[in-house]
Amino acid sequence: MTSASRSKSAFQIMGQFWSVAFLVVALISLEIWTQIQYGRTFVFSAYNIQAILVLASIPLIIAIGQTFVIVSGGIDLSTGYVLGLSSVAAAQVLNLASPHMDALPALLVAGAAAVLVGAMAGRVNGFIVATLGVPPFIGTLGVFGIARGMAYLLAGGGSTVAVRNPILEAMGNGSIFGVRAPIFFAAIVLIVAYYALRHLRFGQYVYAIGANRSAAERVGINVKRQIASIYTLSGACAGIAALGCCARYSAGAPQAGEPMLLDSIAMVVIGGASLFGGSGTIIGTLIGALTIATVQYGLVVVNVEPFWQFITVGLIIIAAVLIDQAKGKFL
Amino acid sequence: MTLSRRRFFQTSAMGIAAVGAASGASFAQDVRKPRVALMPGLTTDSYYTTLRAGAQVAADAFGLELIWQGAPDFNPVTQVPVLEAVIAQQPDVLLIAPTDTQQLVAPLRRAHDAGITVITVDTYIGDGVYQTGATDWSFPLSAIASNNIEGGRLAGKALGESVGGKGKVYVAHFRPGVSTMDEREAGFRAYVQENFPEMEVLGTQYNDNDASKAASQFEAVFARTPDLAGVFGANVFSAIGAANGVRAAGQSGKVKVCAFDAPETIIGDIRGGLVDLAIAQHPAEEGFFAVSAAVATFNGQSIPTKISTGFTVLTADNLDDPTFAKFIYK
Repeated sequence: MTSASRSKSAFQIMGQFWSVAFLVVALISLEIWTQIQYGRTFVFSAYNIQAILVLASIPLIIAIGQTFVIVSGGIDLSTGYVLGLSSVAAAQVLNLASPHMDALPALLVAGAAAVLVGAMAGRVNGFIVATLGVPPFIGTLGVFGIARGMAYLLAGGGSTVAVRNPILEAMGNGSIFGVRAPIFFAAIVLIVAYYALRHLRFGQYVYAIGANRSAAERVGINVKRQIASIYTLSGACAGIAALGCCARYSAGAPQAGEPMLLDSIAMVVIGGASLFGGSGTIIGTLIGALTIATVQYGLVVVNVEPFWQFITVGLIIIAAVLIDQAKGKFL
Repeated sequence: MTLSRRRFFQTSAMGIAAVGAASGASFAQDVRKPRVALMPGLTTDSYYTTLRAGAQVAADAFGLELIWQGAPDFNPVTQVPVLEAVIAQQPDVLLIAPTDTQQLVAPLRRAHDAGITVITVDTYIGDGVYQTGATDWSFPLSAIASNNIEGGRLAGKALGESVGGKGKVYVAHFRPGVSTMDEREAGFRAYVQENFPEMEVLGTQYNDNDASKAASQFEAVFARTPDLAGVFGANVFSAIGAANGVRAAGQSGKVKVCAFDAPETIIGDIRGGLVDLAIAQHPAEEGFFAVSAAVATFNGQSIPTKISTGFTVLTADNLDDPTFAKFIYK
């Protein structure tokens, strides 16, 4: 397995090279564009960099969970509404707990509820995919619908559940030493996930299952149990992201994660992961997230008409996958 | 109905005349031109594209550049990142239709703190009462919007008159908790109850903005209420669905359909006889007055904290009259 993982890392370095190149090209183009159009810098503006990092932060947390799933050869389509369900659950728990305790313990209880609800939804995905053997594309789509309905039910039919908690507000909209708080929030998840995928035995199992499932079974990995854990992890990430959403918008909302689902998958793929499993890294996903956030944010700054922004992001995703395929052929 | 229509028409006519004078006269050079950004609730809706067209008229009149940026769906999660990028463009005035009364408060305060004047159009934050200093959300200068309770009352009047002041009607509604639609429904109910003693407003039907669901709901209500006289479709899809239900039940012309909002689809349905009335809001007016207010405040003038724009009732009889046709959304 050591030699296999070594040759894999050569692929991974190459994949990351291309995604970094993409990001650099995007930043240089935007810099030139803003210089010409407004006579201002894009890249060397602390406001712009922070806004991009904040924009990337919550989708990145979902994308990190998705990275584990995709590397293992699966896909999790439920994360958008699992995020929504977890955010509504956290908001309701926070509103129930707040009259009875201080801000911090109430927030801890609500945070635990968000992660727990997300992880439970993920565990259901894991059961459907690993134990019942339903293809992940279909199984997680079913959970997508279930989570969506439950989120709206739990929100009482309304579109949002407003929350008030000073610590939560600071987490979403405050700054620490001039750096906006959501950036720290995502960074912590990033570091833990990086360590888990790269250095823990669990991470090695994820690659092994994605690269060759039957081989993984033969060497004695309990594949079903590992797959269940992988989907649980993805759900828990959606729960963590839900807490980030609650913090940023001072409300839980069923539809909060819907726009992030496809973006988060694109982030993983731009980061060099293969949808067939076996390759992909957390750093790659980070770069994918930064690329999408930079383009989405930058095109507004240079005032490109909104519909051209979709087209641009779409083209970037296709280009990234084409490069990914070419890389497979020529290396 | 005629009176209110005429009054609203006059307000907008006066506004246009004022700007015509301003741009034509020599003092136009003394007017400092702000950089104005306009952010809709969503970019893919004819209400907001019409609002943009009205704003562009004012922007052209004042000779200023109008930044137009927004997200494809009505969701704070997609609107807030666009807002942050718009803040980076450092406009002097931000005109925005916030996608949530609570969730946009903190992000908009960031724009305010960056020295940008915030004015809300169409939707609002908090309760829409600004400049009191008493609430977290009172920092925007002005709320420019149509009064949805008044719009609902106008729908009640128009539909009530159209059914001859008697019979049963109901409201086809999107989803409880959507403030603008709840207000339309409340205004509609209040007007009918106060003015048409022989009419009855049945229970509201919620359709999740799904036209086919609204259609089958009409058929179900009609099945148990054969003497149904009319439906108020409180938004576009509710009205389109109810109208299709009326046609399926073979009741076109007998059961009156009143739609709220006037995009081309509804106008087509009026011409085809599926819809009888449409309450057109005046999004172009909102855009026009929003830009005018931006210029005024940038030049040190005071502006009202609330500007209410009007409504027009469109029917098959007045659609081709240019005085009315200009209220069809573009």
